[in-house]
Amino acid sequence: MAPETISAPFDIYRFSPGKDSAPRYQRYVLEVTPHTPVLTALLKIRAEVDPSLSLRYSCRSSICGSCAMQINSKSRLACETHIGPEVAKHGRVVLEPMRNQPVLRDLVVDQRPFWKEYERVEPHLKLDPRRPMPEGKPTSMSPAQVERFYETPRCIACAACFSACPAVEADPGFPGPMALAKLYRFVVDPRDTATQDRLVKIQPNGLWLCLRCHLCTEACPKDVRPSERIRDLKQLAIEAQGGTETGSRHAIGFKENLKGAGQLNEMKLVRATSGLGGMLGQVGQGIRVWRKKPEIMKRPRRIEGMDELDRIYAALDPPPKEER
Amino acid sequence: MLRHEVVVVGAGLAGQRAALAAVEAGRDVAIVTKLHPLRSHSGAAQGGVNAAIGVDDSVDAHIYDTVKGSDYLGDQDAIEFFCREAGPTVIEMEHFGTIFSRSPDGTLAQRPFGGAGFPRTVYAADRTGLALLQSLWERLGTERFTLYAEWDLTRIVVRDGRVQGIVALERKSGEFQEIAAKSVVVATGPAGRIYGRTTNAHSCTGDGVAVAYRAGAFLKDMEFVQFHPTALLESSILITEGARGEGGILKNATGERFMSRYAPKVLELASRDVVSRAIVTEVLEGRGFQGPYGGFVTLELMHLGKERVESRLQEICDYCRHFAGIDPVTDPIPIYPAQHYMMGGVGTNIQGETNIPGLYAAGEAACVSIHGANRLGGNSLMETLVFGKQAGIAAAAYAEKAAVTSMQESDVGAEAATYRGWSSRADGEDPSALRTELQATMDRYVGIFRNEADLLEGLRRVRVIKERFGRVRVVDQSRVFNLNLTDALETQHMIDLAEVVIVGAYARTESRGAHSRTDFPKRDDARWMKHTLAQYTPTAPVLSYAPVGYTRWEPKERVY
Repeated sequence: MAPETISAPFDIYRFSPGKDSAPRYQRYVLEVTPHTPVLTALLKIRAEVDPSLSLRYSCRSSICGSCAMQINSKSRLACETHIGPEVAKHGRVVLEPMRNQPVLRDLVVDQRPFWKEYERVEPHLKLDPRRPMPEGKPTSMSPAQVERFYETPRCIACAACFSACPAVEADPGFPGPMALAKLYRFVVDPRDTATQDRLVKIQPNGLWLCLRCHLCTEACPKDVRPSERIRDLKQLAIEAQGGTETGSRHAIGFKENLKGAGQLNEMKLVRATSGLGGMLGQVGQGIRVWRKKPEIMKRPRRIEGMDELDRIYAALDPPPKEER
Repeated sequence: MLRHEVVVVGAGLAGQRAALAAVEAGRDVAIVTKLHPLRSHSGAAQGGVNAAIGVDDSVDAHIYDTVKGSDYLGDQDAIEFFCREAGPTVIEMEHFGTIFSRSPDGTLAQRPFGGAGFPRTVYAADRTGLALLQSLWERLGTERFTLYAEWDLTRIVVRDGRVQGIVALERKSGEFQEIAAKSVVVATGPAGRIYGRTTNAHSCTGDGVAVAYRAGAFLKDMEFVQFHPTALLESSILITEGARGEGGILKNATGERFMSRYAPKVLELASRDVVSRAIVTEVLEGRGFQGPYGGFVTLELMHLGKERVESRLQEICDYCRHFAGIDPVTDPIPIYPAQHYMMGGVGTNIQGETNIPGLYAAGEAACVSIHGANRLGGNSLMETLVFGKQAGIAAAAYAEKAAVTSMQESDVGAEAATYRGWSSRADGEDPSALRTELQATMDRYVGIFRNEADLLEGLRRVRVIKERFGRVRVVDQSRVFNLNLTDALETQHMIDLAEVVIVGAYARTESRGAHSRTDFPKRDDARWMKHTLAQYTPTAPVLSYAPVGYTRWEPKERVY
């Protein structure tokens, strides 16, 4: 009994430096079962049709993180993406190299930008010699403490999140989702003694540049949910520095600003973020914006549906409990 | 020319641990690997790492279980050393940052594994290898060393009776380069891909083992190949022994929990060779299920409950859902044994020394031997750390005393010429086709049950493939990331190693551990309690034998 097969068209990005003057797409059509992984098809192409097709792969079971690529424009692992649903949805399987990293050849990218950001968050336990590890035995840690690491150790450094991230593309100062999720892993580690220092350092170093689009979480094959880890880091960073750093002042200012009306008072927001002195420095830009959009100087009016927002605010900031 | 004191080839757990030890000894260290270190196959290890640190457990019990598991082919002195180092090694990794799973009282949780008398396996959910690999790489990141990632080892240069360095292909540039080294540690992992049905990654092609073999290193006990009982059908992706440790049971097509007939006392937690043979026997005797991907039995986890399965076996849930289209919380998992581990490798002593001065080996690429004829689950991760460290220390000590190497620029010339020859052929053999044929040959003739006729036929076929490889052709003319060339290099390694496996298996006329001869079904201690050593010659491996290290454990019949 032979499993049912489909005829699947693949359009694969090809570029070989020194040989091709520009990238091109090459079409291959394969007979496969719908649940065949994209990687299996690529290996079949290499073995039976075109041995010159280049890509990274190793474990074929979504644990080594080698085979991330753009599959119908989404950053995914080729080994765990099934062909059937792709063909059903898009009519074909378009394969391209990951984004935000220069192409070396075909589906192989230069991952140095990705690893550089990983290094930047100092991904290793930092210990204080005055607080040595327990001698001759492991650190005691409750299952609840281990639970705080639930997602982050699953990261396989495949860089799918880095590829999917628009903030990485827009701003070279942004470390990217993986590096920040890695940082979170050390920040919540009870053995690490540099928590405060890490949280202070990361604020002017890209933490607040996340756009909150959650594309990283959508791309992550291991459910690390990097955007949620970044959210957690921001919360911890505000707590660590009392919300005095520019990025955290902006976040807190934004939240306070929307209270009451549900519409931004931009003047107030600039003041909350940059302070009075900083505001003076932005007078020129303020005037330019005012000329184009004079309504920004108006006092915001209470928007429709603000009652719901009020309830959200009430839930976020419960009134202080009365002392007995 | 690139120059370092110690060059470690391979960057999985054994290679990284060796590098760390050599750096800590003050040497100038380079790591050469064909992957990024974090993509090494150590990261795929699931179940855990053995250390007798539980209150009721003892180092002696760990030693006994390992000796028995090895079917008395493991070197008892090495096993004693290994089991004593295991506890401190787990603690060291915890201090490096590994996030192990915990018991409610805050201590390291331990789960039962096959062939072990106690719940001895420390784990990090079902991704213990990944957890260890991450924290060792993080720890190593605080030290100074040079990383050559995505380089393929092609030669270990041995001259004047010692190691002089290596030659390797840089994938990014397509250049062969020599790296002078006073000592070299081979930690390139296994050659599982000589089989088609294997849990191993595509990159497990035995590069370092084959290159060391051609450089004159003895390979030890290569005929002992472990087949893991529970791999997913079709993809052969591993389902950890931890799944049975957590209470998973095996059933045949009649619904019978058949392990009661093979290992009445410990059932599913018998050692791997026993369980794999039981599964194959069930299918051969018609009690298995049949499907488009052949016969199989099922592993059931449903009775454990959703919460336990999803928290303790998180990755397994993913594997089943993604790669088999089933949910282990509600469905039985169709499984069949697949090649999983090679007990054999480059022969070393406890310090990782080989028969070539300056050449060391560790991890699955090496054979100390602590696993003997059959490895216990949870012992290989520990082996990488314990003996990786030893090899690193020894390689560093050797490099400190050794004279400057005589590595020459011309060492790379011959290399480049050979491979240019492969690329300039107008016609010839396709390396991936040869690899596929090799894998089919090993699956069919050198599997779990072996006999003389099959082994001879397997050997004949491998030799035909070897002869055809002499006309190998690389079609891809690009220099950058030329995987066609990598295919050819790897296939050459695999052919040599497959030949050694078969020659050793043919010669060993007994059944011991994972080596099961239907024509010689009994263990024969009088004739065969000895290690096989294979030495390279251009025509065929030459075998010799070495005694087993013995301390205090008398060979007994092995019953579970």
